[in-house]
Amino acid sequence: MGNCLQINSTDDISLLRGSESSNTHDFTSDRNVPAPIYSELLQPVFFPSPSTRRPASNLTEEEQVKIAKRIGLIQHLPIGTYDGSKKIRECVICMIDFCVDEAVRYLPCMHIYHVHCIDDWLMRSLTCPSCMEPVDAALLTTYETS
Amino acid sequence: MANMAVSRIKREFKEVMRSEEIVQCSIKIELINDSWTELRGEIAGPPDTPYEGGKFVLEIKVPETYPFNPPKVRFITKIWHPNISSVTGAICLDILKDNWAAAMTLRTVLLSLQALLAAAEPDDPQDAVVAYQYKDKYQLFLMTAKHWTNIYAGGPHKFTECDSKIQRLKDMGIDEHDARAVLSKENWDLEKATENLFS
Ligand SMILES: [Zn+2]
Ligand SMILES: [Zn+2]
Repeated sequence: MGNCLQINSTDDISLLRGSESSNTHDFTSDRNVPAPIYSELLQPVFFPSPSTRRPASNLTEEEQVKIAKRIGLIQHLPIGTYDGSKKIRECVICMIDFCVDEAVRYLPCMHIYHVHCIDDWLMRSLTCPSCMEPVDAALLTTYETS
Repeated sequence: MANMAVSRIKREFKEVMRSEEIVQCSIKIELINDSWTELRGEIAGPPDTPYEGGKFVLEIKVPETYPFNPPKVRFITKIWHPNISSVTGAICLDILKDNWAAAMTLRTVLLSLQALLAAAEPDDPQDAVVAYQYKDKYQLFLMTAKHWTNIYAGGPHKFTECDSKIQRLKDMGIDEHDARAVLSKENWDLEKATENLFS
């Protein structure tokens, strides 16, 4: 599984920033897909709740913990490669067609998205953008038992 | 502007242009600058509502973080509706706030706004005055909404009674829209409207 967050062992925010950039590096160099929008910013911006937007340096400790937990959750969602399935042709977030063998993330509802597209969305809202099914309930059980 | 926002809007634009609703002239969308950050939408008032026959123009601003955050939308055409400010055109609709999802598009937003015109939610108002009238004096609400649709959106229903009351206030030096707004708010009671204006 493409887990780039093995270093996620403390809740220091600098590690969060580091993990974001390792994400960016991973996707741009290995899979040749557009970099996530975070790469345009000097430092990552986080969304402690959907309507609050704040740079990493301005987060409270509580928010940092919440975000670290969320990144952990997201990283536990399986990643696969697109197999050319006829059912789902495009990533509804960027509206670009999947290419065969491209990395996609699977949600519990079996909807699939580009990894960088869905990860950006899940940082804001833990629901599937297509069917609105909450992602966290299904995840928390597997996350806590593993 | 972030690349994804622009490429999404370009794709959506094509999608809307091919949609059935465009063919039926029930929704419309156009660009107003080259950077794809600002668009103009238009929706037709749904049948069997006081907005029927009217065309309502919307301002659509696309944030840099689109589609992760919703577009900012407001009515440019003045409208009398419990969930839309009669002053600013601001809209109270969940999908434009916390219930936005990245899979929603400009087309679904326009269709949702059309649905909002057909099914107001007076218990979750944006304009308290309109919502109160909707709940308390529904017939007057219908007349006011049709009158505003006629004046601002090209709707078919003319109310000479409304026009003459507005004229009375205009004769006293009041701006036409201000006169209409006060009369609408005071349930078309000329005396109360005058009192409100001159007290
Ligand atoms: Zn995508
Ligand atoms: Zn889903």
